[in-house]
Amino acid sequence: MSLDIAAPAARRPFARTGRLLLEIWHDRSAAFGLSVIVVILFCAVFAPWVAPYDPGAQDLGARLVPPFWLERGSLAHILGTDHLGRDILSRIIHGSRASLLVAASVVLIAGTFGTIMGLWAGFRGGRTDSVIMRIVDIQVALPALLLILLVISVVGPGIATMIVVLSIANWMVYARLVRSIVLSVRQLEYIEAAEMIGCRPGRVVFSHLLPNLISPLLTLAILEFTNIILAEAALSFLGLGVQPPATSWGLDVANGKDYLFVAWWLVTFPGLCISITVIAINLLANWVRVTTDPQEREKRYARHRAGRRRQAARQPVGGQQ
Amino acid sequence: MVKKYGLSAVAMAAALCLSFPGLAQDIWIGLSAEPSTLDPQARDDGSERAVSDNVYEALMARNAQGELIPGLAAAEPVQVDETTWEFKLREGISFHNGEPFNADAVVYSVNRVIAPEFNSEQLSYYASINGAEAVDEYTVRITTSGADPILPSRMYWMKMVPPAYGEDPQFAAAPVGTGPYKFSGWMRGSEIILEANADYWDGEPEIDLVHYRFIAEPGARLAGLMSGELDVITNLLPEFVDVVPNAVTVEGLETSVIVLSTENPVTGIPEVRQALNIAIDRNSLAENVFGGYAQPARGQLVNPAAFGFNEALEAYPYDPEGARALIESSGAAGQTITLLGQAGRWLKDREQLEAVAAYWQATGLNVNVEIDEWGAYLTRLFDPANRPDAVLAVNSDEVLDADRPLSWAYQMGEGASSNADAELAEWISQARMETDVETRAQLYGEITQHVYDGNYAVPLLNMQDIYGVSGRMEWQPRVDAKLIVKEMSVNE
Repeated sequence: MSLDIAAPAARRPFARTGRLLLEIWHDRSAAFGLSVIVVILFCAVFAPWVAPYDPGAQDLGARLVPPFWLERGSLAHILGTDHLGRDILSRIIHGSRASLLVAASVVLIAGTFGTIMGLWAGFRGGRTDSVIMRIVDIQVALPALLLILLVISVVGPGIATMIVVLSIANWMVYARLVRSIVLSVRQLEYIEAAEMIGCRPGRVVFSHLLPNLISPLLTLAILEFTNIILAEAALSFLGLGVQPPATSWGLDVANGKDYLFVAWWLVTFPGLCISITVIAINLLANWVRVTTDPQEREKRYARHRAGRRRQAARQPVGGQQ
Repeated sequence: MVKKYGLSAVAMAAALCLSFPGLAQDIWIGLSAEPSTLDPQARDDGSERAVSDNVYEALMARNAQGELIPGLAAAEPVQVDETTWEFKLREGISFHNGEPFNADAVVYSVNRVIAPEFNSEQLSYYASINGAEAVDEYTVRITTSGADPILPSRMYWMKMVPPAYGEDPQFAAAPVGTGPYKFSGWMRGSEIILEANADYWDGEPEIDLVHYRFIAEPGARLAGLMSGELDVITNLLPEFVDVVPNAVTVEGLETSVIVLSTENPVTGIPEVRQALNIAIDRNSLAENVFGGYAQPARGQLVNPAAFGFNEALEAYPYDPEGARALIESSGAAGQTITLLGQAGRWLKDREQLEAVAAYWQATGLNVNVEIDEWGAYLTRLFDPANRPDAVLAVNSDEVLDADRPLSWAYQMGEGASSNADAELAEWISQARMETDVETRAQLYGEITQHVYDGNYAVPLLNMQDIYGVSGRMEWQPRVDAKLIVKEMSVNE
């Protein structure tokens, strides 16, 4: 008896994941996005085993070797070598660690904090709203680089410091977005109804307001993700972030840009990695946005059915010929 | 009627100038930063110097090879007694605003720059100068606190300013000097324009107008040169020598060096310091990273063109096996040393830092590279209480004398030195005061040998200065890295 109840409960999470994966599989672009992200994450986690060389191993005699398909290039360095003769492919694979770690952590921390602040300001209104939004205004007016220099000169450079510092410098945009949405959604009848029947503020905020925020927040987070990767590059280049021999995509772009006229591959490949990652996340996030929005979901379902019907209508014609 | 004709003549001249830009010879020079001021005595700012070197002159000058020659002085100065130097001045020279250049102007210029309340950033160049007094209209005596054999070199650095206009609040924005070019305009944020001084005492210069543009990005400066927008850019990367229309090079004043701390735990072991020196393949750095536009430093920080260069020393050999053995035998294997540096200030600074770190890592030490932001880096470079194990810097030997680099890198408690060798500090002070040229050269020979044997520092490369110039320019750059427009010409 008890076994019968326990078994489906234990199986259900797997079943749900399976359904989700199947659903992603039907959406080709989302499937592509997800597989790219999985590959990149795999490379980042298993970098020392995946990378053909030590990313810091230099060979000054073989610097600026182009990718293998060009003249002078060789299969020993598939994507060529950089200005100190280090293998670019290995550096990209190792660099993904810092880039992804910093960008994901900052988006997560700044996003969470900014969202909470925005929810609080928008929901409470009045003096709370004024105080929080004035803090946001003040911090937006303060030059971010100055703030970052200040913190880093006190704490010292490093990846952890950079995550904290970039989070401090980037939460305001989430707070502003969330507050403005909360202000407009609060006026809707169903929120009023929820308050009337006596829902506690926490319940109103988290189960009635927050779901409205998912799609704009996702869009913003993806835009910010790119910004953070580039901000990390700028800071690391100045020596405030990732320290050699460790590297990141952004840092390699910053290091290589002086050589752009003679060796395009120094900038292009790490730059391409940033673009591909952002596109992949974008595709997946687009799917998530649609999936989490009931109206969009219905539209997609309708499109899907309409497509099936058209296909079905065309099939017999093809069969007759 | 006359007025009317005059106007149309002006209009025609303007039209001619527009249609034949080659007639009015203008050149465009790309600077990496906008000058913070145009007061030639206030700051230690390379961009300011690039402009001021054409507007102002000093008592002494250098020819393109770096030899000291009289500038505004009529002849080499005479040392009257141990602490007094007498300069005879050229006669009949006036500032661009008509003020005469005479002994009073020299006295004013000297006293202005050394006045404590003026708080000049250049004060370290003139620390020994006590004051100046006029003997007659064209004779000046400069007094020093102790014997100072390199006072003539110091006077090559001190620009002469006009006594009356020098007090004007406008002085820092609209400079007036005696030089071959007059200040014409400063559009903040975009450009500074100088025009030829037709009354220049040494003949009117060939180029009529000089435009200085401020472009921070090296890539953007390079693109400006390639598109014909700029005629001269500095600090060209060796990789681009074949790309630009024309590249000119000269043995530079800059030497990259890593100062090692003799007092810290790991770098305090003499064998470790020796290993750090022989672990680096300087030839490969010079040939590959710098494309041949640098030479391995010959075991010392003193510039080969400077007084006090020790001809007997050779570059440290490259011996990775020996370095590894030394680290092993001294018991330092696996220990961590910190290598401090910064990125973006000097030519290929980050590359040198990363390359050295990799060489050192290969000896069995654990190298912890710290790249600091410029301000934080400077604080740590000059912090006497907490010396970094190893710190990379590039020393520029503007005075071309061994005193400055040696006291900066090696004299206990001074500059970026990281040792506690009181005897060495005493030697360096002694050499600074020694007036006999032979004895002084000998002292520097002993000092450079001593620091070579003790491995107090890791001299890396003597870097060449590479300039990118447009196809129409004719110019041979100078050893002292000054951009003297008078020496340039346009070929059209």
